[in-house]
Amino acid sequence: MNKKWMLLCVLVFVSPIGALFFGAADLSNGQLIHCITQGCQDPVNNMIFWEIRAPRVFVGFLVGAGLAVAGATLQNITRNGLADPYLFGVVSGAGLGASIATLLFDSKLAEQIGLMQMLPDLSFSLALPFAAFLGALFSVFLVQILVSKTFGSKTEHMLLAGIAVSFMLSALSHFLLFLGEPFAANKVIFWLMGSLARVETWYAWVMLPVVVVSVAILLLYGRHMDALLLGDENAKTLGVQVTRLRILSLAICAALTACIVSYCGGIGFVGLMIPHIVRSWLGVTSRIVTIGCVLLGGCFMVWVDVLARVALPNQEIPIGIITSAIGSVFFLIVMSQRRS
Amino acid sequence: MSKTCSLFATNVNLKIGQHQILSDICLNVGAGKVMGVLGPNGAGKTSLLKMLSGQLASHHSVSWNNKTLTDYDPMSLAKQIAVVNQLNESVFALDLYQIVRMGLLPHKSLLSRQTPEDDKSISDAISRVGLDNKIQQSFNSLSGGEQQRGLIARALVQKAALIVLDEPVNHLDIYYQHQVLKLLRSLAHKLNITVVMSLHDLNLAANYCDHLCLLDAGKMVAQGPPEHVLTSQRLEQVFKIPCQIRHDTNNAAFRVDFYPPDELEIDLPQSIEKPRI
Repeated sequence: MNKKWMLLCVLVFVSPIGALFFGAADLSNGQLIHCITQGCQDPVNNMIFWEIRAPRVFVGFLVGAGLAVAGATLQNITRNGLADPYLFGVVSGAGLGASIATLLFDSKLAEQIGLMQMLPDLSFSLALPFAAFLGALFSVFLVQILVSKTFGSKTEHMLLAGIAVSFMLSALSHFLLFLGEPFAANKVIFWLMGSLARVETWYAWVMLPVVVVSVAILLLYGRHMDALLLGDENAKTLGVQVTRLRILSLAICAALTACIVSYCGGIGFVGLMIPHIVRSWLGVTSRIVTIGCVLLGGCFMVWVDVLARVALPNQEIPIGIITSAIGSVFFLIVMSQRRS
Repeated sequence: MSKTCSLFATNVNLKIGQHQILSDICLNVGAGKVMGVLGPNGAGKTSLLKMLSGQLASHHSVSWNNKTLTDYDPMSLAKQIAVVNQLNESVFALDLYQIVRMGLLPHKSLLSRQTPEDDKSISDAISRVGLDNKIQQSFNSLSGGEQQRGLIARALVQKAALIVLDEPVNHLDIYYQHQVLKLLRSLAHKLNITVVMSLHDLNLAANYCDHLCLLDAGKMVAQGPPEHVLTSQRLEQVFKIPCQIRHDTNNAAFRVDFYPPDELEIDLPQSIEKPRI
């Protein structure tokens, strides 16, 4: 194993443990170490540690890993380093689905017919990601229709179609928010900015299988994804069923993004920035990029969440604001380095 | 000619919209032969190569190894036929080794790992095309000739019995043109690989190919050994330039000499104005 991979493994080991030491509650380092090694003595500490901090760190890792992998996969299948779930309209689609679900559950009509009382407790929690997933799939489907019927099948056309769909679905979401109940709209706006503040343990059990299965499929198809890097025609001559692989990849990206966006909101730039760093640091082949994105994307998000919690006293900054700020500066630096 | 491992095409037709690209093309290439596809721009060379390699649906009109191409699944076809297209630049900086390694793809299931034998076949293929010292170099940074040889190495790793190349010596200088064609001829004659390629240079085609097809406007004008296909009357008719065929007495090389037309300039229409300086 070379030094870079070893460094990344150390980072993966250290980051989640280190992040557990940061949070609003005043827990001493000794108490935390005791909680990690032998279990917490105080039930309040036990709850803070195992039901708030640990799930949040774990979910943060999965969110970073999932978004980075989705971005890398979209960049791979479009052969364009600018592709990410935002640019492709997947986040807007998921956002539209989540907005509709939130506004529907919080509407006066739902109150009048007693929708929340009629449904079991978890139904909203499950309806939200499901609606986001449907929205994400809808956007992918729309992009595919535009590509095949109107725009043309070249990858740049696919990106243009993605941008058009992204703006269209965002406009629709914003219009719904404009029309909706102010309280529900506020909830959606906070959600759109991205946050891990509402994370609960069961989020992790929904996200974990989606991320693990998606990454496993992408690793299995690593050689096929590499062949796509040389263009569709070349990949076909190597026996790759390009259309089927592209649809599978898009479905994986939709599932990953929807699952993350529905719980944690819009977290931008991770899917764009992390694959770039991994490629320049570790290599460009699909399997390396996928594993690198899981590890580095996960660590990145864990530390961004720590920053979101500790940057301002007694309040949290929405995580999407931090990732966008870091991402934009990162790209300005990369561009200036390339120019020089 | 034996039918084993031969490429057969019977009545290949291709129509896109109202435009007939190929009309009733029939050909037959035996194992271990080098076939050159010739013709002016727009004659249908690239389309024919795509039909012969299964990139365009041939509707049972093309068969390889006694089996029509449509009966092969994509992976089985890739084990039999390697295609060297003119390559787009790779967006992400893949190195030569990674490009050549892609030739393993048709032979590997999703779960299988790369074995030491695979490593050896990759390094052997790279050695065979003379690129040992470029193995870790970014593919985009290689010269045109080196890239072309790298793709041929990938075809060798693919272990295909038929290699189809679209203008393999395009953009190469004269030295690399001969290097690439020598390599392809050696592969055909020493490893019994069938090579089918399109070429623009008639002299290179005459000297390196065993069999030529001359296309014009999607139709087969002539096919057979170079001395049979390349006649001055036929070439003048297809390329619309006067030419002469001669044999070099020193090394028995076949030469096609095109002569410039009588008038070296044409009348420009009035609508084209002089540039204002």
